[in-house]
Amino acid sequence: MPGKFCVSLSAAKDNTDKATVAFVIANAAVASDKETIVFLSVEGVRLAVKNYADGIHEEGFAPLNDLMANFAAAGGKIYTCSPCFKRRGLDEKNLIAGAVIVGGAKLVEFLSDGSPCVSY
Amino acid sequence: MKVVKEREEVENEFPPPEASWDAGDLGCGELVLGLFVRIKKITPGGIFRVIIQDPAAPEDMPAWCRMTGHKLVGATHPEYLIQRKEK
Repeated sequence: MPGKFCVSLSAAKDNTDKATVAFVIANAAVASDKETIVFLSVEGVRLAVKNYADGIHEEGFAPLNDLMANFAAAGGKIYTCSPCFKRRGLDEKNLIAGAVIVGGAKLVEFLSDGSPCVSY
Repeated sequence: MKVVKEREEVENEFPPPEASWDAGDLGCGELVLGLFVRIKKITPGGIFRVIIQDPAAPEDMPAWCRMTGHKLVGATHPEYLIQRKEK
């Protein structure tokens, strides 16, 4: 059953519960043969920077670093909002695996043929 | 119509499992990503046995198999037998 799936995440250390569950759901989607992206925006963009998620480990789930690495290894992409990233002064040369800095057009293109999207 | 067979019927109709995985308490995305990675190592048409304690498994396993094209040939919670799709 081909198809696309988007998980939109706007939280990082300000809500590690949301950040973790977002990647758990993203892993479910990519493992179900969906072309899957996680769209990081607002505070969520911090997760795209290497080592930022070190130590984030919600009870009952795998560590967030593992969830993100497994997602990327399975073919998932992490779209990272360019203006959100820039206004926080983050280093675009220090991204985690699977992360790519994108503008709105890239997200709109992905969603425009009817991709479902769940937001955290 | 009964779609998922009892263990005895599966044993009579399908080859023995090529591999087994005890998924323990894993559930949701962590569980299916684990399945996604492991079932690739099974021969197409081969049987993969997985033990899942997660109470959502009776709902999630049929859904995952419908989406991926693998066939759930046995489901007696917590034991699930999945036949890998041909391609």
